[in-house]
Parts: sequence; C-alpha cells; structure tokens
Amino acid sequence: MSTKEPSEADILRPINTLTKKYFLVYGIAAIGLLAFIVAWGYQLQKGLVVTGLGDWGSGGGSTWGLYIGAFIWWVGVAHGGIILSAAVRLLGMDRYMPIARIAEMTTIGGLSAAGFYIIVHMGRPDRMVTSIIGHYHITVNNSPLVWDVTVITAYFVLSATYLGLTLRYDINRLRDDLPDMFEPIYKIMTIGYTKREDEVIQRMVWWLAAAVIIMAPLLLHGGVIPWLFSLLPAMPAWSGGIQGPMFLSIALMSAISGVTIISYGFRRAYDWDHIITDDIFRGLLLWLGFFTLLFLWFQLQAVFNGIFLGPLDKAHAAEAKIAHPLYRIAIGLIFGSLVYIFAQGIRPSLFSKKRALVVSCAVLMGTLTEKVLFVVEGFMDPHFNIYANTPGSYFPSAIEWLSLVGTTALVVLLFLNLSKLVPVVELHAIEHLRGEHEHSEEATEPEVEA
Amino acid sequence: MSTDDESFHPLGDEWEDELETMLDDTEYDSDLGMEMAQDAMRVTKGELSEAEFHEKHHEAVMEEFGEDERPTKEAYEAAQEEAKGTASRMLGAFDGDGEETRRETMKKMGVGAAAVGMGAFSSTRDGPMESLSAEGGHSETTEHSDTQWGMTIDLERCDGCLTCMSACTQENDLDAGVNWMYVMAWEDELHEGHEEGTDTGVYSSDFNMGSDFNMLVRPCQHCTDAPCEKVCPTTARHTRDKDGLVLTDYDVCIGCRYCQVACPYGVNYFQWDEPHTDYEDIPKAQDRDVDSPDEITHAQYEHGERWVDSRAPRGVMSKCTMCPSMQDGQQGEEKVGTSACESACPPNAIQFGNVKDEKSDPSQHREHPSKSRAVIRLSDEHTDASKGVPSPETIDETLSSDDDIESALEKFENLDQETLSIMKAIELVSDRTEPGDEENNSILRKEQEIVASVDAFEQYVDLETDEAITQLQLGDGSERQARFRIQQYTGKPNSFKLLEDVGTHPNVTYLGEQPGPEAEQVEGPTKYEDIGLVDKRQDLLDEETVGGVDGVSL
Repeated sequence: MSTKEPSEADILRPINTLTKKYFLVYGIAAIGLLAFIVAWGYQLQKGLVVTGLGDWGSGGGSTWGLYIGAFIWWVGVAHGGIILSAAVRLLGMDRYMPIARIAEMTTIGGLSAAGFYIIVHMGRPDRMVTSIIGHYHITVNNSPLVWDVTVITAYFVLSATYLGLTLRYDINRLRDDLPDMFEPIYKIMTIGYTKREDEVIQRMVWWLAAAVIIMAPLLLHGGVIPWLFSLLPAMPAWSGGIQGPMFLSIALMSAISGVTIISYGFRRAYDWDHIITDDIFRGLLLWLGFFTLLFLWFQLQAVFNGIFLGPLDKAHAAEAKIAHPLYRIAIGLIFGSLVYIFAQGIRPSLFSKKRALVVSCAVLMGTLTEKVLFVVEGFMDPHFNIYANTPGSYFPSAIEWLSLVGTTALVVLLFLNLSKLVPVVELHAIEHLRGEHEHSEEATEPEVEA
Repeated sequence: MSTDDESFHPLGDEWEDELETMLDDTEYDSDLGMEMAQDAMRVTKGELSEAEFHEKHHEAVMEEFGEDERPTKEAYEAAQEEAKGTASRMLGAFDGDGEETRRETMKKMGVGAAAVGMGAFSSTRDGPMESLSAEGGHSETTEHSDTQWGMTIDLERCDGCLTCMSACTQENDLDAGVNWMYVMAWEDELHEGHEEGTDTGVYSSDFNMGSDFNMLVRPCQHCTDAPCEKVCPTTARHTRDKDGLVLTDYDVCIGCRYCQVACPYGVNYFQWDEPHTDYEDIPKAQDRDVDSPDEITHAQYEHGERWVDSRAPRGVMSKCTMCPSMQDGQQGEEKVGTSACESACPPNAIQFGNVKDEKSDPSQHREHPSKSRAVIRLSDEHTDASKGVPSPETIDETLSSDDDIESALEKFENLDQETLSIMKAIELVSDRTEPGDEENNSILRKEQEIVASVDAFEQYVDLETDEAITQLQLGDGSERQARFRIQQYTGKPNSFKLLEDVGTHPNVTYLGEQPGPEAEQVEGPTKYEDIGLVDKRQDLLDEETVGGVDGVSL
C-alpha cells in the first residue's frame, strides 16, 4: 500500500487540471473520430459497396463482417463493465471500489460505440426510427435483432441510472470544488438531493446491481446477444448452446482488459498510485486469468464438438475455424496471456503493471479478432455449402478498419469529457481507503427489509 | 395498454391516425368507420354489448355497404332470440368458427370499417398481431389463404441453358450478379456429372432435352416458415396473406441484412450501391405497356399497395419475388399464375402456380410427375412439332372409319406410333379432371386436349383391341400397365424439397436427384458469362471497395 493518504483533492485532480498531454490525447481522439465520421459520410454517399462485404451464396462474399464483429465486441466490453461494477457492489469486493465507476463509464462508452456500429452497419440508417419502432410490437416477438436492441437499450438505461444515482452523493459533497461552468449540469444531476436519500440510493444501487448480475447470463451477453447467431440453423459455425457462456466469457475478458487499460491511464496521468493500487491490477489480472481459462474451455468444447464426428456441416465449420491462421493467432494471444497470468500468480515477482497492460491489450486484440472471425466464419461454411463461390472472400475495407479507430476515439473522448465533469473515482472509495466505512458497509451488506 | 385518453385505440394515437388515413383512402364513409371503431372499443371494454353495438349502427352500415355481416351479428341475433327465450344461438356465437366469420366479414366490408372498426375490435380480443394482419402487415395471422404460389421444378428436364436467369434479370432489371434465379450444375459422390471432352453433354433423347449434368434450379423457396421473415427487425420482409409470397417492402427495409444471414438457401442479394437501372427507366427498359413504374413495381395488398417488385433501391435487400405484379394481374390476366422464369424455360422444367390447388401445374407435376412430364412433352410448344398431338378437329378431317393404326399414323406427318402409344397411355390413366377456371392450369388442360384427341382417334380406329394394345406396348391395357408405359417413356423421378430438415417448409418441390450434403457446384453446360450474366458478384463489388486488399481474405 502506498503511504500517501487518499484525499478528495486526488479524485478532483482530473477535473481541476488542464495539461498539454490532455489536449494532445483529446486532439488525437477527436481526429480519429472525425476521420471515421468523414469516411462514414462517404459510405452514406456511395452505399455499403465501399466496404468489403458482399452476398454469401452465389455471390461469394460475406454478408456481415467487421462492423458486426466489432459491434458484439463493444457490447461485450460494455456488458462486462457493468457486471464488474455490479459484482463489486453486490459481493462486497471493496478492494475494487476505486475502479467501479471506471467500469460503469466503460459500459456507457461501450454501448455508445456499439449503438454507433448498428447505425453504421445499416443500408438505410435513416429508417431506423420509423421502421423499427413503428413495428416493434410485432417484431419483438420474433427477431433476435430486436431483442438485442431491446436489451441493449434497457442496459443503457440501467447503467446510466446506476451511474447517475451514485454520482449524486459525490457531486453534492464535492460541489464546492467542482467548476462553476458546469453548474447547470450539477444542478440537474443533484435535483432534490437530501442526505436522507443516501441510504435509499445505496439500497437502490444494490438492487440494480443484483438485477445486472442475475440478468447478465440470461439476457445480456450470455443470452440474447449470442442468440443473434446461435439460433440460426443456416450457419453451423454459430450454432450450439455453448455460445451463451462463450460470449459471456469474452465479454468479461474484454471488459477487465479494457478497465485495466483505462485505470492504468488514469493512474499514470494523475498519480493515483495510492488509489488504483498495484493490488487492484494484480486482482484484475487474476480475474482475467479466470475468465480466459473459461473462454479457452468453451472454445475447446465448441471446436471439439465439430471435429470429432460430424455432422458434416458442423465438421466443415470447425475444421475451417481451427485451420484459420488468424484464429490461431487470436487463441495464441489469449493462451499466452493465461500462461503469464498463472506464472505471475505463482511467482509474484513476475508481475508488473506494464505487463498487465500488455496482457490486457493482447486479450483485447484476441477477443476482437475472434469476434470478427466468428461472424465471418458463418458465411464461409454455411449448412448449404453447394455454391462454387462459397466459401467466399472478405477483407475489411479501409473504412471498416477506420471504424475501429473512430469508435475507440469515441470512448476515449467520453472518458476525457466525463473526467472533466465528475470524479471518475467514487468518493466512497476514498472514504473506504481512509477507513471510513459508514457507507460502504451499507453498500455491501444491505438490510433487506421488504 | 393506452394511457392516452385521446385515443380510443389500444395501440395509441398514431395507430389511430394511420387507420383513419387508410379509411380516408377508401370509398367508404370515414366518419362512420371511426364512430364504429370507438363503439367497438367500448364493446371490448364491456361498456356496450355486442347486440347494442350491432343495433346502433345497423342502419348506417346497411346504407353504406348494402349488407351488415359484422361479427356482432350473432350477438345481435342471439339477443333477439334470447328475448324469445333461446340461449342456444348465443353459445353458437362463441364457438371456434367465430374467428373465421369475423375475418370473412372484414373482407366483405372492404377496407373501411374493417380496418378501423374491426381492427379495434379484434386488437383487444386477439392482441395487436391480429389487427395488423388486416393491414397486410406481418404474416402472423390465423387466416389461411387458399392460395400459395410456388413451383415444381423438374431438374432432369433442366438443360442448364440459363434462359430463366436471363429472363428474371430482364423482367426485374437486376444488376449484374444479382441472380434471384440461380441455376447450377453439381456433382457429388453418388452423382457423377458430365465428363470432360464429351461435347456439351446436352443430349436430346426422345423424351427430354436434358443433359448428363446434375442441375439445381434455385429461386427463392417462398417458405411457409420463412426464417428471413422471422428475424426481420422491421416487418419489411413479410408473407403476403393473400397468396403466401414472401416479399420485401423496399420502403421499410433498413438494410440490416439479417434476412440474408438467416436464409439457409442464400437467395438474398443486397443492393450495395445505386442500382444500375433508374427507377424511371424500369418500364422503358422492359418495353412494357405502362406509363408509370409504380403500376408495375408495386404490388397489391388488402389495403393499398406496397413497393415489393422489381430490383431493389440502394441499401435494401432483394430476392426472387415470384413476380407479384403478374400474380396481381397488373401485366394482364394471361400472366396471372405465371412467372418470368416459367414462361422463358425452353424445356418447361419450371411449373409455377398455386401449390394448394390440386389442379394447378405445380401440384399436378408434383403428384403425377411421370404423366405430367409426358403431357408437357407431347404438347410442348417450345419444341418443333415432331411430337405434335393432332387436335380432334384435325383427326376428324383426316381419318376415316376404315383406317387401322398404320394407315392412320401415315396420314399424320408428325404422329408416330410411340406418341400415339403415350397418348393412349395418358388417356388410360387420366381421371379426366377438368382444369377448372383457375389461372394457368396448363397441365390438366393439355391432358384434356390429349384425351380428347385420343377419343377422336378412337372414333375411327379402335385402340382397345388386344391387337392394338399390344401394338402400342400397353401390356394388358390396364391402368397400371399404362402408367408403366409412361414411366418407361419419361422416367420416374424422385421428388424432394430443398433443406427440408431446416424446418422452413419451402414451397418449391423438385423432381430429380437431390444433391447430397457434400455436393459441389461444377461448371454447367452454359457459362454464365456467355449469356451476359455474372456469377461471382464479389468481383464487381470489390472494384468499389475503398482500400480493399486484393486476394486477401479473412
């Protein structure tokens, strides 16, 4: 543990400082986002023909590609983030309190990126509202894509509420040290606040966290998102109940990695060694290892089911999967990360924050690659594989690659903006680190009165 | 449901406005419709009895529509009978047929009060899904039309000429590589295909014009349980209630392409860029006798029209439509029950029609493949007249009563003994079902013509004698032997539906060999590029890709 005493000033530092580096990062991110928006504009003008996508079947292309792969990846990051934060609150993992809000903000960022991808992916985004909302009462009964949009929206609301409620406590107490120019925002956020609500809010947050944890495997990345693929008999590469746990494990891996990277960034930028401690990184790394192990286990199950003994379509899909160089690279990256995590678990001297950072990046690369491949694999080895032009070809175009830059920049900008507005580390966390437990105890061991 | 006091409809204000607009478009009285709709809602809430509802509007309805067959009629009558002391009528109103009656009534009443009044009425009774079917929306409906367009395709008669693909492309102004109709040759372990070096492999047997290629003809299957429709997030992909066609509403589709992902057959083609034929040029390019593209590219629905025909605009999904503007009679009555590919197919391998009607071509071909093949072959207008069956009139003019088989055959230039044998065999097995007045039941019609010719022939030459039967190789002259004779001539094909195991319930039946799970497409007798078609669309799409990497693929 650091010898420094965590203080309010620490968590206010991002808000009340303005450095060159901040502007530099902001500028780069803004350029990244802008570049993609320009590219997207070109796509809107020309049509989706500017992508590398095409028609599967006689056409010899891939219907979906990087856009959808990145979409489910971002959704995974988002869902993992909120699960992480909910687990901290629900299971009393006080050690991770300083990064709980970063995880929540990651959720908001991830969902924004995912939402953006939905629009970018459409042939006629201008009809999103009229066509989807207008027929929602019918399509919600059938279409997994509508279920998807429904749960993502629900979780956006849930996460934003969750974040908004916990921010009221902080803003109210730190108000005097917050910049006056955002006064209207703070006023809205703390509207009707009295200290008597703290206890109520803690209970509400606890229940929200409980809802997140319960619904995660059922409705989120363990349920509805994989159903988008796994329910379709046309594509054996996607089918099977294992996709539920698989998606969930990928979500958690990606989110832990993402939170690790963002936490690393904040710690470095604002000297938060004593707040986001090495201990937190070690812990995150162990959790990452746990979910990585699960992921590899699920992969083994999925692939082994195909390669042992038919059915033919499943066998072709599985054989093509394990033979793909990028799949091997992705799994290699993730397996390598697992080896390191276990090694540093046994021999703590192998740990360093930089290595944790590298591992996190490797896992994120691995999961993103796996996701994009997973999407494309479906079209390469469909059930009806008679066509000479199937498996077809697909390689993302420059615009598709740029979308990754754009959405990452979007999330970075969100963090950069939020960090100037509200504390990214909870006041509760500081109080907890200082040994003032009056609130955290309520948070972790709520009295259930109902 | 609705918390809005303004709207009487459970689906809210917007819905109500939409319905009112629909009403305004009809010839019927909108005010009456809306008033009835409000009262219908009151009925569902129990504020008004069905009988009262009926009575209240009876006069106005009679004046407007000339009949009053509202579902509440039973209640009204029951109430009257109840007044006389009978409750039995009341019970009758609640049995299973009530649903059907209500739907029938909606049809009879036309668009107006049906959509609004009964729409409101049924939406609370049956949920919103039901009321939407009145809009011609999604197909989740309990109503079953007795029309289902579909096909029976004889793969053994397909000679792989790709004429159907060209005809489809032309009819619908499709971009290169958008092969709504796709014909391929294939091979697998059990089905050796054409051998290299044996010319084109197309041979002309007496019966068919087939080839030694194994063919597969793949239009959209217009599945009864279409996965593409099920996954659509917008209802753009829908099944038309009236005839089971699975279509895409080009004005609603958002281009998410989930339908293409979910379809196990790979029949969907997305419009990745601006279509090469402008909307305005669609009729001109076709040389059609219409002034506006709207007339031809929009298809008729229960309530108005939707744009579902011809090539898709940019950013939406397209696939084989089975020519709805033809089925709706917009291209003339003679084209109802036909499709561009069917009309174009030289060997008549594609039989299009109402697969629910046992008299239709696809049903006849599916149920009696050998006989139908023989009928089609003998009356094939595409081939030369060598197999021409003489008409009864010609027979009357040509034959005299002292003719025997030999002398009679000599009098007809195009009639040989084998043809006569098959004609007689058809006559023996025919149960003389009338084709009916349904659209385009050509197989039964042609069968009747052959039977009539045989009957005329037998006025002069007795074909029932043992000698004649033997001469015509009809065994003992029984129906069974006649059937066997036909099978000798045309073969006895297998029949199958494509990927039935997926559970889509396709409406295309195939005659011939089914490709196995390891079947692979091979080069067919006609090359796509030779007749101006593009097979691998990706090559064209890649040209427009921004910053694509050639030859690299994930």
